[in-house]
Amino acid sequence: MNALEIKNFSKSYNESIAVNHINLTVPKGEFFGLLGHNGAGKTTTIHCITGISTFTEGSIHVMGKDVQKDYQETRALIGLSPQEFNADIFASIEVTMDFVGGYFGMKKKDRTKRIQELLEMMDLTDHCKKPFQALSGGLKRRAILARALMHDPEVLILDEPTAGIDVEQRRALWKELQNLHKAGKTIILTSHYLEEVEHLCSRVAIMHNGSVLKELEKKDFKQNGSLEETYLTLTGSAL
Amino acid sequence: MNLVRLGAVVKRETQRFLRIPIQTLIAPWISATLYILVFGLIIGSHIQLFEEMSYIDFVLPGILMMNVVLSALGQSSTSLFFQRWTRVIHETLTSPLSYVEMITGYVIGAVARSVIVATGIYVIALFFTGANLSHVGWFFFYAVMTAIIFSLVGLLVGLWAEKMEHLSILQTFVITPLLYVGGVFNSISMLPEKLQMIARFNPFFYLVDGLRYSMIGFTESNIMGGVIGLSAGAFLLFWIVLTLFKRGWKLRV
Repeated sequence: MNALEIKNFSKSYNESIAVNHINLTVPKGEFFGLLGHNGAGKTTTIHCITGISTFTEGSIHVMGKDVQKDYQETRALIGLSPQEFNADIFASIEVTMDFVGGYFGMKKKDRTKRIQELLEMMDLTDHCKKPFQALSGGLKRRAILARALMHDPEVLILDEPTAGIDVEQRRALWKELQNLHKAGKTIILTSHYLEEVEHLCSRVAIMHNGSVLKELEKKDFKQNGSLEETYLTLTGSAL
Repeated sequence: MNLVRLGAVVKRETQRFLRIPIQTLIAPWISATLYILVFGLIIGSHIQLFEEMSYIDFVLPGILMMNVVLSALGQSSTSLFFQRWTRVIHETLTSPLSYVEMITGYVIGAVARSVIVATGIYVIALFFTGANLSHVGWFFFYAVMTAIIFSLVGLLVGLWAEKMEHLSILQTFVITPLLYVGGVFNSISMLPEKLQMIARFNPFFYLVDGLRYSMIGFTESNIMGGVIGLSAGAFLLFWIVLTLFKRGWKLRV
């Protein structure tokens, strides 16, 4: 089964085309990378998959369900860790996770148990009572990821999950993501750190100006020496 | 409707106003106390509108209604606007919450704030007057239905607003003036005949008059007309808000 199936999908903002007739398929259980420069259309695509944005052209299916017609079912299957910190800055991460668990229909007992599991997994237990605004950048990233995992989603979408965090924390986060992948989660990752994508993903799609330029298997990542060289050559940005 | 999901939205909304009690609860209680003291007692002791009632008993329902309206409007409009502004709204947009659950959650939160504010004012009023409740059922109907209507109006404002200043436009230029001329401080029978006609087109007159009837049994309108108007208004506004949420207007870019 495909975790994600995008067919002929386009999205425009007024007269500006953000995504132009793209097709993408991500099989269940894959660790998939979505690459592209700023404004390539990655976040717009993610917003349309998750329900943050609407679209009128093409179709997007998650686990065989249409994200617009069956929106409640598909949203229950997805966990999103967005590029921007969009949590209530005055609430603690514990409170935020409790609300989010509630939005996904989790009962109080299950929420409490899951919050403890995730706080330990993300090493956030000592910070769980602090307001979100009092956390460091790295802790905020982990808190946002913990929030995305609250309802134990089948598909995890991570939009720049390691932006602004130090190398030690990045490596620790990679390990957690690999564990989640081994546990059967489908992970869709966007990142500007190409070594991160190279390390974690088994397949990537390169987006450029709203279109998918090319899809690459792991064995093809280094066709020009490294994924970075391959990426720069394909996007015409090589020096 | 999933009660766990709805409960989470209600809890978020109630925690939001309980987190800032000085602004959301204590400020309206202080301002209502001043209204009761100045207009009800100090000036009111020199005013005798009707033989059978004191002026403080006449103005109290209007003061209560003003606070019910402004609390409900303020709660839902600021909550939705700030969630849009800070993008915290994405938490709910990416969840399986239905649109009815989202809207109902905002409405219950706003009604809860209005009821707490109104209860506080009623308790404060007991120190100054008997604060009659002639028809308890009507009292709750008018207070709760008004809170529902203005929480829905607040959601429209919260959707429409592009900057913080927009949040106060409706309140400053429409709601507060209409409330003040809607019979809060005076009987419309005191107005010249032509103005009385105009006053009857002011929807706030029926809200204040209905609550006044429930408290002191005095009315200048048809109570059943108010009931029909309030019920129809609530259904119409809920349908408008639901349609806009479904379309994602100003919510989903």
